[in-house]
Amino acid sequence: MEYSKIRELLDKYWECETSLAEEAHLRDFYAHHHGELPPDLREAAPLFQYYHAAEADTMPELFTDGPAPWETATVIVRPFWHSWMKYAAVLLMAAGLGYSVFSFQQRRDDPQDTYAFRDTYSDPKLAYQETQRALQILSKNLNKGKEQMEKLSYFHDATEMIQGKNN
Amino acid sequence: MSSEVFIAQIMPIKQKLYRFALRLLGNEEDAKDIIQDALVKVWHNKEKMGELQNLEAWCMRITRNLALDKIKSRKYRMTDDLDRAQEVPATHQQNPHQTAEQSDLMRRVHGLINKLPEKFRTILQLRDMDGLSYQEIAEVLEIEMSEVKINLHRARKQVREQLQNLHVYGIQ
Repeated sequence: MEYSKIRELLDKYWECETSLAEEAHLRDFYAHHHGELPPDLREAAPLFQYYHAAEADTMPELFTDGPAPWETATVIVRPFWHSWMKYAAVLLMAAGLGYSVFSFQQRRDDPQDTYAFRDTYSDPKLAYQETQRALQILSKNLNKGKEQMEKLSYFHDATEMIQGKNN
Repeated sequence: MSSEVFIAQIMPIKQKLYRFALRLLGNEEDAKDIIQDALVKVWHNKEKMGELQNLEAWCMRITRNLALDKIKSRKYRMTDDLDRAQEVPATHQQNPHQTAEQSDLMRRVHGLINKLPEKFRTILQLRDMDGLSYQEIAEVLEIEMSEVKINLHRARKQVREQLQNLHVYGIQ
């Protein structure tokens, strides 16, 4: 009979004469017994049930249990539209470059610059007269400047004479 | 000791060490911390492992010493972990009333074991909950085997008296 064996084991248990296997048997018996127990066996039931339940305590996962982040190479695949800023930046760069090339070409072909290289007079005689007139104006103005410079030269000579450098 | 040996010999007893630390500290987070520290300490002392007869007892001693240091270091407040006591699985319970009754009973048993003197409690837990032999308990606690037997006998006697009170009078 199971109960008599348990009784015997319990007596040994309280006297510390049981082996580890016998104690495990007691725990197992009380944990899995259903229904009413004989009165003399009820006393120890909560204790062995408690021991059995304590075996179920398991440690929560430690951070060292899992692989480190660098050990697991996770490839994150994002949909195309998630990285829209990248594409927007490329588009902006292209637009900027295109605009600068376009404006450079426009400036190069600007008609204002081409007037300098274009003939303004079709009649050579007229052109010669105009050139003469322009040169006369230039010469007249140069002479004006020369007269002033001569005055300065006199003044300079006079100063040197006073200082006695010419002697 | 290589990491393979460490994983093969130490990691399987991790749960047992955790339960031991949990019972000493009564707090899951602190027990986890202690286990991390204990594993690091075991790793640092790996040269000693060759000389050891019982690796498990040595690891449990390290865990116990660290837990006791923690308790001493900051006037550790031991809390009766009522929540945990209520988590006891009740597989053959039919209704909430019986479940509550069972939880209450488990809480009382938890309380009466916790009221034992520290030495009695630890020896009782190491034997009845961790399944350690007398020799292993003596190694963990660094005491004589005869002392283990005497203290276990006294601890069980006290528990039995308390259980009788609980059974007959319904008091703790």
